[in-house]
Amino acid sequence: MENIATSASHLRSEDVNVWFGERHVLKNVSLNFPGNQVTALIGPSGCGKSTFLRTLNRMHELIPSAGFAGRVLLDDKDIYGAEVDPVDVRLNIGMVFQKPNPFPTMSIRENVLSGLKLTGRRGYIAEEVVETSLRRASIWNEVKDRLNDPALSLSGGQQQRLCIARSLAMNPEVLLMDEPCSALDPGSTRRIEETITELSDSMTIVIVTHNMQQAQRVSHQTAFFLSEEGNPGRVVEFGKTDDVFNNPVDPRTNDYVNGHFG
Amino acid sequence: MSELDLSALPRPKSQPWQVRNPKNTWLITAASVLPMVLAVIITLGAALDPTVATILVFLPLQIIASVSVGQYIYGKKGRGDALLVIFTIFFSTLVGVLLVSVMFSVVVNGIRAMSPQFISQNNVYISPTTSLGYGGVGHAVLGTVLIVGLTTLFTIPLGILIAVYLTETRGRMRSTVRTLVQAMSGLPSVVSGLFIFALLISPNFGNATGFTQQAGWVGSIALFPLMLPTVARIAEEALRLVPQELRNGAYALGAPAFKAFWQVTLPAARSGLITAALLGVARIIGETAPLILTTAPANNTNLNVFEGSIATLPTYLYSYISQAQATSQQRAWGAALVILILVFVLFSLARVLGSAKSTKAKKRK
Amino acid sequence: MTQLQDSSGEIPPRRQLRTKPFSLADRVFYGVTKGASSISIILVSAILLFLFSQSLSTFQAQGLDFITGSQWNNTKGDEVFQIGPMLWGSVLISILGIIGGVPMAIAAAYFIEFMAPKPVAKVATVMIDLLAAMPSIVIGLWGLYVLTPVVSHWSELLYTMHHVELGFASFDIPLLSMSNGKDPNTFGGTPFVAGWIVAVMIVPIITSVTREIFSQMDRDLINSALALGGSRSSVFMRVILPTASGGVTGGVLLGLGRALGETVAIFYVLNLVSDINWFNILESKGGSIASLVLQKFGEGTSEEVKALMAAGLVLFVITLLVNWLAAVIVNRAQPWRKI
Repeated sequence: MENIATSASHLRSEDVNVWFGERHVLKNVSLNFPGNQVTALIGPSGCGKSTFLRTLNRMHELIPSAGFAGRVLLDDKDIYGAEVDPVDVRLNIGMVFQKPNPFPTMSIRENVLSGLKLTGRRGYIAEEVVETSLRRASIWNEVKDRLNDPALSLSGGQQQRLCIARSLAMNPEVLLMDEPCSALDPGSTRRIEETITELSDSMTIVIVTHNMQQAQRVSHQTAFFLSEEGNPGRVVEFGKTDDVFNNPVDPRTNDYVNGHFG
Repeated sequence: MSELDLSALPRPKSQPWQVRNPKNTWLITAASVLPMVLAVIITLGAALDPTVATILVFLPLQIIASVSVGQYIYGKKGRGDALLVIFTIFFSTLVGVLLVSVMFSVVVNGIRAMSPQFISQNNVYISPTTSLGYGGVGHAVLGTVLIVGLTTLFTIPLGILIAVYLTETRGRMRSTVRTLVQAMSGLPSVVSGLFIFALLISPNFGNATGFTQQAGWVGSIALFPLMLPTVARIAEEALRLVPQELRNGAYALGAPAFKAFWQVTLPAARSGLITAALLGVARIIGETAPLILTTAPANNTNLNVFEGSIATLPTYLYSYISQAQATSQQRAWGAALVILILVFVLFSLARVLGSAKSTKAKKRK
Repeated sequence: MTQLQDSSGEIPPRRQLRTKPFSLADRVFYGVTKGASSISIILVSAILLFLFSQSLSTFQAQGLDFITGSQWNNTKGDEVFQIGPMLWGSVLISILGIIGGVPMAIAAAYFIEFMAPKPVAKVATVMIDLLAAMPSIVIGLWGLYVLTPVVSHWSELLYTMHHVELGFASFDIPLLSMSNGKDPNTFGGTPFVAGWIVAVMIVPIITSVTREIFSQMDRDLINSALALGGSRSSVFMRVILPTASGGVTGGVLLGLGRALGETVAIFYVLNLVSDINWFNILESKGGSIASLVLQKFGEGTSEEVKALMAAGLVLFVITLLVNWLAAVIVNRAQPWRKI
């Protein structure tokens, strides 16, 4: 497994603003995601945290009428630069979605290798990529005897871990996860949390979650998003996970993490 | 302070716990059967015309019987319900009779003409009185396959590409294209034929002759504007059914749009796109008017779609439809049955594929 | 110690998001789909422009009489091309088809969706969809040999009622009588017969659309109306019809567009006469633009073909308007459904 990088890039957002049409949904979000750290984005529904996550690998602009201002820097290089191909950005910054979305027409093996095929890197296709990726997503033991089965024959939790394996096969610098466990049972959730912890050795992870316990279990630092009545969403508080949860500065953060609203 | 009057409306009078009188079942049955029996007796007795009897005897009797029974059992709301049911059943029966009659006539009359040689032989040396033992639609089947095949060859890729443009890209002309495809679907088939006829066949642009003679390929072109909107519309629906998450999954891996489409969206929409192709073919396989204008009928088998007269099933049927001789009319029915079978096969294939797709979609959920 | 974020600062200027692809393969991909789409634009404009340019001389020679007049003469020198009877014939037949077809279609859709047992509904749905795809020439054959005798018989029965004799007055019902006042020797070839055939053609189309709209209706809406004590009929009149009316109207207009352009199904059952038949629907005299084109294109002189193209253009423009109206109504009433 020597080809797996052990250190990861750091990602930084500077004054990120987002609009949908004329609606201003995120205002001046500046966050720092150091390498090999897991950052949790928390906040009530509709506060823009998923939207923010999608700006980090330029999935955001796939939505028509999306507007953007600010900068996102990967190792201090602006990924929204005029000469940057969004496709290349996504190559380095992978993403796992809320709902498992394995490619239905492909087998388990093909799903893992799909990224390589889709990006024209067939030269890297090898059995060990399949095994390594599936092992890192801790699903190898469950599927090693049926790699050629259709991906849809797996359970929801397994599908989600397959999707993680699919992203890992690309060996991204940064992995973005948009509520990856919201559709899963507690057992699968635990497995994925373990996976996240292991993965942080080799990459930078940003995870959106509604689950306070999950944020505390897996993340090193936490950002609390809030969008108050008609105002665009923004970050209220950002810092070490321990501090945000146990020693928040803003009363609203305190209310939220203790379940008083949201 | 006076107490609010909370009983402004009288309570509904119905008594749900009241057991419905079992006599009602008998009343309903009687109301459904008696008018019919009575109408038949009156009709036979007075030797009335069946149509007159249905409208003037049966229907009024039925309405009176049902409405009064409805009124007796359910009160006022029973009357409206009785009328609704009568009219629904009357008109539905009419639809059923008409549509079954279409199917039934084509099948029963068509089968009389059907035989191995009717499918395989051509129409050379066949006069209007030749017995059905000789000659058939073989040449017309081949002509239809060639002409429709040629249309399909360039229409399916174009139709799917238009659908791709509408669903997969953010091009600026999308709404224009969608409107025009929609407009094209309203193009009367005879106008499409006339357009191609005037453009390519009839003497034009100051020339003494047209650009070409009537030929199979001209027919193929005349069918193109009729098939394109069907294919594009159904293909667009099929592509729209592919969940956006799949495309996002591919993009998030760093896939360029082309590969995301080719390797993820296209395979996921495959059965829907095949359905689009099949229904597109079904749309034009019996199209007659454009082919009358753009192809010359033939009795012999012509496999050259680019030159000479060529027969097709619809034009064959068209040429036999108004002949006085019984055998000729039976040939027309035979051709109609062959068209019906082709449409049916295309349709069944499309349905089978369509349902396979929907069960797959259910599994995903 | 955590940091509070101050987001009250200046909002940076908006950035241009690139929507065009970078890689060559993607540019080719988008280019090809764009090219294919332009074909649809080119094709429709070409049809309209060509028909228009070709029919210009006819429009100039005939003026407004082209639409209102009723003469057709291709003798060299005395050429007169006017499509009044044919245009009105197309409209009249379509109206008759709609009058006959719409109640049948709505009843059938209601029956399939709300009354029939499941297996019956399933079979009926497949049948209706199949018949909606039935080529018109097949309907034409059936119409000529099976339906025409039946409808002619009905016409005969209707004609017996055309004269009303009251004690103090007697008069003819215009709709049922003949323009020349004489008894006809045939009841075939009339707009009435053609109208029935068109009705049979469009019933599956309208039923199909209506049934789909009924099936997509919110069942909770219907159930809650029933829960309020509504009866079958009041729910139909007050809930189902108003909710579905937009979509159903769209479906009807779709059928109307089809009926207007119909050619071969009524070509053999319609007696083309270049003399306008306003409403004597039982008289063997009528026309339709599509039938006119089919009848005249072959032996036509080049002037006549141009006149036919003018007629085709008029027909296309009318169907365009009807289809456009259908799309607008359906899209407004049923935003999830696009026809």
